[in-house]
Amino acid sequence: MKARRYLARTVLGWAAGVLLGLGAQAAEPIRIGVVLSTSGPAASFGIPERDALVLATEHVNAGGGVNGRRIELFHYDDKTNPTEAARGVTQLVASHKVVAIVGPGTGGGALAAGPVAERLKVPLLAPAATIGVTDRKHSFFPWIFRVGVDDSKVVHGILADMARHGLKRVGIFHQEDAYGKAGADYARSVAADLGVEIVEVVSVPYNAIDVGAQATRLRNARPDAVLLQVASTPLATAYVKTAEQIGLKAVTYAGAAMVQKTFVDSVGKAGEGIRVTSIGNLAHDPSPSEAKFAEVVKKAGRTPGGWMELIGADAIMAIVAAAGKIPGEPTGPAMRDAIESLCGFAQYTRGKTCLSSDYHEVLNESSLVITEIRDGEFRTRK
Amino acid sequence: MFQLLEYGVRGLLSGAVYGLLALPMSLLFLTTGTIDFAVGAYALIAAAVAVTVGGVAGFAAGIGAALLAAALMALVFVLLKRRGNEDSITVALASFGLAVGIASLVLWRWSTQAFVLPSFATFWDVGGIRISPQGFINLGIALAMVGLLYVVLYRTDLGRMMRAAAVNPRGAELAGIPVTRVQCGAFLAGGAVAGLAGLLIVCSSGLDYTIPLPLTLAGFGAAIIFGIRSPLRGFAGGAAMGIVEAVSAGYASSVVASLVPSLFVLAVLSAQFFFQSRFSGDRP
Repeated sequence: MKARRYLARTVLGWAAGVLLGLGAQAAEPIRIGVVLSTSGPAASFGIPERDALVLATEHVNAGGGVNGRRIELFHYDDKTNPTEAARGVTQLVASHKVVAIVGPGTGGGALAAGPVAERLKVPLLAPAATIGVTDRKHSFFPWIFRVGVDDSKVVHGILADMARHGLKRVGIFHQEDAYGKAGADYARSVAADLGVEIVEVVSVPYNAIDVGAQATRLRNARPDAVLLQVASTPLATAYVKTAEQIGLKAVTYAGAAMVQKTFVDSVGKAGEGIRVTSIGNLAHDPSPSEAKFAEVVKKAGRTPGGWMELIGADAIMAIVAAAGKIPGEPTGPAMRDAIESLCGFAQYTRGKTCLSSDYHEVLNESSLVITEIRDGEFRTRK
Repeated sequence: MFQLLEYGVRGLLSGAVYGLLALPMSLLFLTTGTIDFAVGAYALIAAAVAVTVGGVAGFAAGIGAALLAAALMALVFVLLKRRGNEDSITVALASFGLAVGIASLVLWRWSTQAFVLPSFATFWDVGGIRISPQGFINLGIALAMVGLLYVVLYRTDLGRMMRAAAVNPRGAELAGIPVTRVQCGAFLAGGAVAGLAGLLIVCSSGLDYTIPLPLTLAGFGAAIIFGIRSPLRGFAGGAAMGIVEAVSAGYASSVVASLVPSLFVLAVLSAQFFFQSRFSGDRP
């Protein structure tokens, strides 16, 4: 009798398990939009971000998804064009009913798409470094989050490191656009507080093929350190080569845009000792959590790159964590509320952040690392 | 004063590359009466192929790739001509399309990789100014190409045919000049020169897929500033732009430094408007 009851229970349990399993299998996927610049000038960020978030999503799905539901991605290339970015948000919500969007990846795109997201009630997780993206004075602020670290925190970290190492006379070499100029202006405004002096500022057009004159002008100001506020690898390379040729001996610091293998390869020996700020250090000195994502990348047969991969993956991890908190059907507003309540989610990048109704930074300065190029690798400075 | 001289010398060296880019513009305008806006894209594809193949073979392959791209443009030109569309603006717009196509091809194949080759680790001290040997190589090659083009255009039969083809295509054809072939030749020669410029840039600084339009505009600016009809003037225009750029980068505030070269082009062009006979001498 006992045995029969046991058998019945086992069979029932098994059947229920199968049914539940089937239910989970058949559950609607969670629909997530991706609006990144995979062509145009910002493609150097958009492509690795997209590739990484696809890998992270596959990894999550392979592990059973979120509450038994798969994550399905819908992609839109904004071509580094803010108008296209806003159009992409509209289209993904209208045609694919997405409940959250990773992107747009440029500051201009994020600012253009913000009002659209507010109207359609879908949260944006923008991997954009432009300071104004998460400005609270925008009416769409509740609907926009930044996955990344804004430029001002990067510049602040660099100037503080210079001061710590006694490099008091600072020159700035910046590209002529919003990114370059905002960084240079910010550096000027905080230099005195951090105990450094800005002795010269030179600017270069984004596509300059020669920076001899600008480097000469910097050299004549005799700086101890030079901050490269540029996002173009050829431009940074041209600076490093030219500085060596004209005898400009200052220590070079660069922002996160230069954490790229192409930069190290391009500058060769002249690059040894250059200090580059990074978000995490995926490729060379990963933290334990970063190493986990490096494994995911390697399993897919690729080489771990830089912080673009990390922020792409963490955008998905934030969405996974938020969706996991929602008991019923995830909707745009429910996702927004859940993202805003995240505190210490399972992010791959080192560091920890707690969001709130007036703090929309999915990553923060605790994820920043200052690396130094040694033997062609970005080693974390102790 | 020494500083001014240093900025001037650096400007001249970088201006040499602008001058080199002005050559295809002048050459094509002289033979077809149109402008090839894909010049910067030829430089890009040459650089991309050269870096990928590597070594001396890479340089040859790079020039080959630029020639191939220019051949494509020549084909488009011939097809447009066959369809009776000889408006020079149509060809110019088509070349814009080709430039975008080449940039997309590079982005698709090489992604956003920067193309750079290691440069000389040494430098030469010229009167207290430290200059990379690459700078002199650039200047030497640019001067050699200008000289070569000048001799071909103005001292050979081929040159006469090329000029006749633009001035009066129908008349030239009646006189037995293979106008279309000569014009295609001009596209190819322009492609090769632009490819060469791309290789020099790769060796001296570096470039990526965003370079085509800025390079084309630099070449175009250098070509028109003192008159597009002469390669010598194109080179002078390039050198002048380089010098003005360097001096303004050296002295002007960083807010206006990059504005000055454009103002310079504008000023020279407006001056030409008022003193036309003095500046744009050799009219057709």
